[in-house]
Amino acid sequence: MSIISLALPNRGRRGSGLALAMPAILLLLAFFVIPVAMLLLRSVTEPQPGLQNYAALIGSPTYIKVFLNTFLVAGIVALITVLIAFPVAWALAIMPRGWAAVIFSIIILSMWTNLLARTYAWMVLLQQTGLINRILIGIGIIDQPLQLTNNLIGVTIGMVYIMLPFMILPLLGVIRKIDPAILQAAALCGATRWQALTRVLVPLATPGIASGGLMVFVMSLGYFVTPSLLGGTANMMLAELIAQQVQSLVNWGMGGAAAFILLVITLGLYAVQLRFFESKEGAR
Amino acid sequence: MKMKVLAVAAALSIAAGAAEAQQIVFSSWGGTTQDAQTKYWATPFSADTGVAVVQDGPTDYGKITAMVEANAVSWDVADVEFDWAILAGQKGLLEPLDFTVIDRSQIDPRFVSDYAVGSFYFSFVMGYNPANFPGDKPAKLTDLFDTKKFPGKRTFYKWSAPGVIEAALLADGVAPENLYPLDLDRAFAKLDTIKSDIIWWEGGAKSQQLLASGEAPIGFFWNGRLAALQADGMNVGISWDQNITAADALVVPKGTKNKDAAMRFIAAATGAKPQADFAADTGYAPINTGSPGLMKPEIRATLPDQQNAVQINADLAYWAAHRDEIGNRWYAWQAR
Repeated sequence: MSIISLALPNRGRRGSGLALAMPAILLLLAFFVIPVAMLLLRSVTEPQPGLQNYAALIGSPTYIKVFLNTFLVAGIVALITVLIAFPVAWALAIMPRGWAAVIFSIIILSMWTNLLARTYAWMVLLQQTGLINRILIGIGIIDQPLQLTNNLIGVTIGMVYIMLPFMILPLLGVIRKIDPAILQAAALCGATRWQALTRVLVPLATPGIASGGLMVFVMSLGYFVTPSLLGGTANMMLAELIAQQVQSLVNWGMGGAAAFILLVITLGLYAVQLRFFESKEGAR
Repeated sequence: MKMKVLAVAAALSIAAGAAEAQQIVFSSWGGTTQDAQTKYWATPFSADTGVAVVQDGPTDYGKITAMVEANAVSWDVADVEFDWAILAGQKGLLEPLDFTVIDRSQIDPRFVSDYAVGSFYFSFVMGYNPANFPGDKPAKLTDLFDTKKFPGKRTFYKWSAPGVIEAALLADGVAPENLYPLDLDRAFAKLDTIKSDIIWWEGGAKSQQLLASGEAPIGFFWNGRLAALQADGMNVGISWDQNITAADALVVPKGTKNKDAAMRFIAAATGAKPQADFAADTGYAPINTGSPGLMKPEIRATLPDQQNAVQINADLAYWAAHRDEIGNRWYAWQAR
């Protein structure tokens, strides 16, 4: 969000662009705002007018567990994605251009491959009779196959893999802007490598870490396919709950209520991010 | 060059417009089942009548409800679970079927109502991978719940539907004639005993993958999916003891603009020959009483309708009446 707004010149004169933006605004209104509003309306009108759907969601330990689990998974995925993406982005930034372009295109290509196919591929790799377990047993590290699917481990692996490009791209943009001379200066001033990383590089890359991390977190909150295929029902996430309510039980009211709660949380997180960055920019 | 492309595109769209009147959309569940429905029902129907059948799916009850409520029905015929068809008929989501076009007298009376006619019927059966059980082979439903005698993960159908709850009660010792009304507390208590060993399959392809890979060496399957694995040359053990039947239904969502063609398609699909051909290929049983006479005896022997003696019919009307109540408990129990 903040990256987009940074890229837009003339931020102060918003009014002049409004007419040009009208087609886009109308499109969003017709295909997003109105349908979403109608779904939300059903959450307070079905099966009868009132807040009973919200009461049922908040009053049930099962649904609370689904909510907490959604946040847990999204949090773990965002954290691990940052930890893996940071060194990758750093390596891409300092690598010779040619090599970086090759690796960069591999990362982008993975995003163009069908999500379902990639998730099924992980299922085949991770299952008890899958490649990973067979190799581990073959070289004698374990004797019993590890349970890597139908649980939190499977969901985490599958989702981190899918989210990595979304983290690497914003991080790369920020890291490329850091002048390598700053790190040399840190070393000249006596900083160890660790200090150069934690006191110089990471703080400078924080805007990228924060925006990428938040994007991954928010995308993970609403994810359906990967948790459904690689997770078990004991770590059900909110999107699956909504799918059950709408597809199987045809309970639009309950599905709409769950969707509304998810939407409010997501918008709240965006608001936090916007505020955080606006104040940062002001300080600079 | 660009003009040429545009001209071709315009010609195509005019052709499509002309064909539109002669076209219906059929929604089903994908995989080998929908392939067979296309091959044995839709293709001959189109050849006979000139009405094209566009395949779509997967069937989604939320979508059907939304289409009917918005009066923008794009599925003219849908393959749905029979218990949902009963419920949807009661809720006014379906067109009443035209039995002057569809021959009701030919259809197994268990699988026909004013709003729905059987598409095919199937059994939930216990299946296992013999490679995982070199000694005793699983034979009864109690073996599904006996992780000491038959260790390993077990796989069950993920969605709330007739089958798994009945199996749990039967394995717990409930007599078939006392199954209904379903004792849900007792069923979930029984399922709790193996809950950590359950892997859920949400579609037929995953159930086949779980069994064939040995990820779940035993489970409760749609019989047709096991027949397909056997046809591919895999050694699959099947126990028909206490197999539980349920059916799919063909329905016409209310408000379709192609009602007549939809009725004619259903009449053709439920005819003796298309039902017999479909059954021979998929391992599911025909709902047309004239079909068995058209089938080879050795193929008939593998179908659910030959297992009447050890068969339990799920009470689809009971399910229709309690679908939401059971569903809510089912999903809450799964997530616990």
